[in-house]
Amino acid sequence: MTNALELSGVFQHVGGRCALEAIDLVVPQGSWLLLVGRNGAGKSLLARLVLGLDAPSAGRVRVLGQDLQGLPRGALAALRGRLGAVLQGGALLEGLSVIENLVLPLRARPGGRAQLARAARLVIATLRLDGLENHPPRSLSLGQRRQVELARALIHRPDLLVWDGLSDGLDPAAVRDTLEVLRAQRGNRPLTLIATDNRADALGDGCDQVAVLERGRLIFDGSPAALTAALPQRLDLRYVLTGRP
Amino acid sequence: MAVLAVSDPRPLAAPPPPRRPFTGLVGAVEGIGFAALTLVRLLGLYLRILGGRARLDVPAFAAALRQSGLSILPAITLVTLAVGAILGQQAGSFLRRFDVPELLLLSTTYAVVMELVPLLVGILVAGRAGVDLAVRQANLSVSGEVDGLLAIGIDPIAYTLGPTLLAMLIMSFAFAVWGGLMTFTAAFLWLSLETAVPPALFLDAFTSVIAPADLLQAIGKPLLFALLIGLIATVNGTAAGRDPQGVGAAATRTMIGAVAAILLADLAVIVLTGR
Repeated sequence: MTNALELSGVFQHVGGRCALEAIDLVVPQGSWLLLVGRNGAGKSLLARLVLGLDAPSAGRVRVLGQDLQGLPRGALAALRGRLGAVLQGGALLEGLSVIENLVLPLRARPGGRAQLARAARLVIATLRLDGLENHPPRSLSLGQRRQVELARALIHRPDLLVWDGLSDGLDPAAVRDTLEVLRAQRGNRPLTLIATDNRADALGDGCDQVAVLERGRLIFDGSPAALTAALPQRLDLRYVLTGRP
Repeated sequence: MAVLAVSDPRPLAAPPPPRRPFTGLVGAVEGIGFAALTLVRLLGLYLRILGGRARLDVPAFAAALRQSGLSILPAITLVTLAVGAILGQQAGSFLRRFDVPELLLLSTTYAVVMELVPLLVGILVAGRAGVDLAVRQANLSVSGEVDGLLAIGIDPIAYTLGPTLLAMLIMSFAFAVWGGLMTFTAAFLWLSLETAVPPALFLDAFTSVIAPADLLQAIGKPLLFALLIGLIATVNGTAAGRDPQGVGAAATRTMIGAVAAILLADLAVIVLTGR
């Protein structure tokens, strides 16, 4: 099986400090990875590197079989067409309505208006966003915004979804429902998920791999079962995951 | 046996604020380089659209035509009519002292077509469309919407500047023609009421002054100005970085930078072409 993501020796410096240090991480295609860490541990930075929004200070980032370093702009844009992204902060365009935001990834692709409308209707119904189609993003609650962002990330059926801040703004029921939608998509085709959160159980039983970041260093990478087994012996992991040594 | 903490339990230090792009002397050079790269990317985008390998974002183009173009039509009309009336009044008082209508009409026509209207159109487009573009670009940067666009495979240049600049070019051309007509009409009507200059003299002045090369330059100038305004607005909008205060600064810098660039570009055209 090929890997959806390979990070090797990745360093990232931000404002003169080392925010990510010697990160080696492999995520097989179709796998669901949960990246856990405290606030400021470097989760969002890592998500930005995977999406090619930032270049690493050193090391190699390989996404869906392509090295991001030195990738021409057109090839990078084409690769991003296979990615979905839910970012922290306002990634929705405020000048557009919810429906216009949703179809944005499809606007530059072949296909008529009817196809755009069909895809948008499907994702709106799936994520229960009915009635919000013509609202501007600023009129939505944080949770609704996150769901619209997720809908936009899924509308073009990506191979790899990067979801930064899994439970940000979403209540547990909304997270559970949304994960159900992703599981349904996963049943039809391999969807790799890289989610970040500060809780190790955020992905529930759908999680295949957990990576724990602390101060820019990867201090654990393994299965949820291996994490559970390691917790009694690892004070550092207990501290990151529970706030208590 | 428990492994001792690798992690440091002290709170994480806040990272220093990111540097705002294109500041300082090196930043100015970066800004020029960024403008050049933007121009190359724009030309590439337009060529791909012409070749059928990319699609013009029609909704964004229509919005740009509406917001950045048609909305300044009343201002262009009012300003050029006022300028025409002022010129008519001044020409009338001049003619009452010196009876040289041919000379006066020739110089006035030349000044209006070659300089006055292109500059007025450029300044008004800078004030409305240029500032609008810079603020939009800055808001995209500040709010993180640029990242949202990039993450879904959309080039922000193709989304913002691509359709807007095309709208600005089209509207600048249209405004130059419309503004010239308004100025002439107002000047002619005012002068006709004030003096007994025959209408045929106006037509003679227009046809004798406006050679094809002059006309090309008169129409080309607003297009050059629109291109400069678009690039300056994009650089200043991008320079806002993640700083919300950068939005206001982007608007001010665009207005000042665009007006200065328009005047300097006009001077350069005059010097280089000798007209």
